[in-house]
Amino acid sequence: MNISMADILLISPMIALFLFSLIPLTIKVLRGNVEQSPTATIVEALIGLFLTAGLLIVFGGSGKTAFNGQLVFDGLTQWMGLIAVVSAGFSMILMYENPATRGKQFSELIFLAMNSILGMLILVSAVDLITIFIGLELMSLSLYLMIAMSHEQKISKEAAIKYFVLGSFASAIFLYGVSFVFGSAGTINILDLMENASTLIKTSKVFLFGVSFISLGFCFKVSIAPFHAWTPDVYQGAPTPVTSFMATAVKTVSFAAFLRVLAMKPLIGSDNLFLVLQWFAVLTMTIGNVAALVQTNLKRTIAYSSISHSGYILVGLITAGISQNSVFAASSVVFYLLAYSLMTFGAFAIVSLIEKNENSVVQTDDLAGFAKNQPMLALCLTIFLLSLAGIPPALGFFGKFYLFSAAVSEGLLWLALWGVLNSAIGVYYYLRPIVVMYMREGDCDISDDRRFGTTVAIVTAALLIVVLGIGSGPLFEMIERSLM
Amino acid sequence: MMLSALIFLPILFAIVMAFWPQKNTVRHLAFGFSIIQFILSLGMLQRFDASSAALQMVEKSVWIQRFGISYFLGIDGISVMLVMLTTFLVPIIILGSWNSIDKQVKGFHSALFILQAAMLGSFLAMDAILFYVFWELSLVPMYFIVGIWGGTRRIYATLKFFIYTMAGSMLMLLAIIFLMRLTPEVTGGNISASILDFYKLNIPFIAGDFLTPQTLLFFAFAIAFAIKVPIFPLHTWLPDAHVEAPTPGSVVLAGVMLKMGTYGFLRWVIPLFPEAAEHFAWLFVLVGVIGIIYGALVAMVQPDVKKLVAYSSVSHMGYILIGLFVMNTYGVNGALYQMLNHGISTGALFLLIGMIYERTHSREISKYGGLAGVLPHFTIAFVIVTMSSIAVPMTNGFVGEFLILLGSYAFSPIVAAFAVTGVVLGAAYMLWMVKRVFFGPKGELITNAEHDHAHALHDLSAREFAVLIPLIIMIFWMGLFPNHFMDYSKASVDHLVKNKMDYSIPMSTNTAQTGER
Repeated sequence: MNISMADILLISPMIALFLFSLIPLTIKVLRGNVEQSPTATIVEALIGLFLTAGLLIVFGGSGKTAFNGQLVFDGLTQWMGLIAVVSAGFSMILMYENPATRGKQFSELIFLAMNSILGMLILVSAVDLITIFIGLELMSLSLYLMIAMSHEQKISKEAAIKYFVLGSFASAIFLYGVSFVFGSAGTINILDLMENASTLIKTSKVFLFGVSFISLGFCFKVSIAPFHAWTPDVYQGAPTPVTSFMATAVKTVSFAAFLRVLAMKPLIGSDNLFLVLQWFAVLTMTIGNVAALVQTNLKRTIAYSSISHSGYILVGLITAGISQNSVFAASSVVFYLLAYSLMTFGAFAIVSLIEKNENSVVQTDDLAGFAKNQPMLALCLTIFLLSLAGIPPALGFFGKFYLFSAAVSEGLLWLALWGVLNSAIGVYYYLRPIVVMYMREGDCDISDDRRFGTTVAIVTAALLIVVLGIGSGPLFEMIERSLM
Repeated sequence: MMLSALIFLPILFAIVMAFWPQKNTVRHLAFGFSIIQFILSLGMLQRFDASSAALQMVEKSVWIQRFGISYFLGIDGISVMLVMLTTFLVPIIILGSWNSIDKQVKGFHSALFILQAAMLGSFLAMDAILFYVFWELSLVPMYFIVGIWGGTRRIYATLKFFIYTMAGSMLMLLAIIFLMRLTPEVTGGNISASILDFYKLNIPFIAGDFLTPQTLLFFAFAIAFAIKVPIFPLHTWLPDAHVEAPTPGSVVLAGVMLKMGTYGFLRWVIPLFPEAAEHFAWLFVLVGVIGIIYGALVAMVQPDVKKLVAYSSVSHMGYILIGLFVMNTYGVNGALYQMLNHGISTGALFLLIGMIYERTHSREISKYGGLAGVLPHFTIAFVIVTMSSIAVPMTNGFVGEFLILLGSYAFSPIVAAFAVTGVVLGAAYMLWMVKRVFFGPKGELITNAEHDHAHALHDLSAREFAVLIPLIIMIFWMGLFPNHFMDYSKASVDHLVKNKMDYSIPMSTNTAQTGER
């Protein structure tokens, strides 16, 4: 296998990311195990991310493949990669300022986070099932450690173990599926499989088995019911910035890889798989929304909300999987993930600001009085929650609109119907924090020290939600053009 | 530009208001802004050509090209008076709530202006998605107005209000998406969300088969609007919201927001799904009649005067619904007129109740009595508004109800007979309430106030006169010279009734040029 200059240029974002991830650690080693200031670490990391994003924009969207068709750099890679890098960058700002993650081991944390992002970039560009697996593992292994590294006493360790066990289980299922695909089709490259997957799945039970297992592995990763049970516990147990990292960037790239697998059109060939995934989507939307109704912990509420959003996105994925020209549906998925990442990040960021120390737990009722003490942040949280609920003209509304338009145009009317009915249920728990914030007396405030970066990130996200919401047309067309 | 200004000026006002540095001039500023807005709308009315059924002052530009969604505003006879009602009521509301809103004054007025913008937007939008955006947007400020400035059970009430309305409108969104998918048939290949293209659609309808596209779409839209109106079995959010809302909230809710529902029927449901609307007209007329009688009976037993007026709204909205679904000239004209009447008379009632509540802090009818001797001016105003509400001749209510009854008689004499009982019941509960509150022996509140000089009851202040006089003038003006108002909508309503099976609104020629500019 020869590595050409073109390949190196294509993976230059990943190389840059890896090199930058080494800087804080190297400095620490050279200084004799003395940490440099966290501010320096975060600045280096953010510069690295900017560079990565820039290189991704420059080299990412050409549609070329690298390393003999192992990696592909098309519009999907570019967009999903950018969403992941941006939301991961936002979450790293939270890490810098949250009491549970800043402190002694900050360089290690940032090293792990950046390697996790590296895994994400591999995941979004990989078209070889084994390379997808490598990306998935690089991303997840770093993440297990990031969760366990919290200064918080017990609950995050439990979360890390739980995530590790279930995540490994999912990876094993995925790998098992890959072996079946290889056995029946003789190749594990998605681009090669693209042409005959839909016929192969009809003729070969083994292939169907393989594709189903791969899909189940992804369902674990993106918390599709009935494989969602880990999500609330892990999201609640992990330090809030890491939760935000998981809920936005990790979920986005997992969906990107899932989308690539479904873009082989296995669903056209197999009615059963098609039916099962539809029921998964319905189940996920319903369980996520109904369970969120009874939560009192704010992080857990957002965790269940994130499960229900996985359900909506799965509707888009299924649509992309059965339509002949999947560009429209795929763009609506990308658009939705963009919206979802911004809103979910924003909600977690506010939680992170309210946490006073590494062991604090934020209940929904604790928000009382927040609007009086922090009118601007309360307004931002209101925007995030209304956008999550799908109230126009926020970005979340247009996300749902494009997603369900795609579903309706492919005749999946009943999925769209479930989607909108679930959105109506969701309104209740999205409004509750707003009620508490504005309409109850209390003294909720943010902790005083180190909040500038987080505030800037929150306000940026809120502005993006409103501005991109109103100007969603050109953005959507841009995504669609790049996915052509 | 006129219509855009009407919508976006209030948003600008809201932003200015939010950052206004001086606390004690906020109300003056808000009042000034709302007057500017009203004058602007008068200017719009001046330019409006009442003789034409065409869509006027059209503004159209591309918003989301990919889906044929445009920023498309226009006004015709159906919406013009509702726009005027909205801009007319807001200054009155601000003046009326001068003393009753005492916390977060800036926030309140910002919310009120955003609400005004959203309501005007939903009356003026001629694009389905734009309409939906304004429609949903109007929920948010109202949610805050009830939730922050409301009564003791405000949180329950505001959540119920929001979720009910939202649940209904989600189905409407799906129906809009479905309709947009159908539009390439009539536009020559391009997807479109313009209502004018929707009107051209020929949606299959088979009478008796429930699962035809037109029937399903009809109900998806109709349920969304029915919740907003609200129609009888879906009305339960209304009394809660009204009772818990602060006075200005109740006035906007009763005065304008409920009309968004009935307007929706007239603009969207009936012209878009004419066969289904005709086929299911009996259902809506029936629930209208049930609403009239049920609302009146429940109103009769309410101990709380605000709740009484809230249930009277259910009853009045029943009339409007009947007027719309009998689908003849009398009925629709009457319904449209009754929308305005209800806005003015129920709005005035809520304002009056707010005024007396500020003085006594009670709304319980049984604690009042003999108020007429203490507050003569207030009593006169209240009695006039009551007369309007129960449709005594010479007041505005009479014209609307009479036309609706005429229309319903043409539809079916039995319906008219049942609807008339509502008039009698309405007179009964309103007059009984007036009797118990204003006449008879002095109630405990009144005697307490007489003994306690610190809390003595004062008659109407100059500000309160200024609030009530425009409303009372309107009550008589609309009652004595209905044509002054009805002329604006006549052409459009006639056009709708005549061509409802194959409805389309022409674009007026003189404004088409401004549209293309």
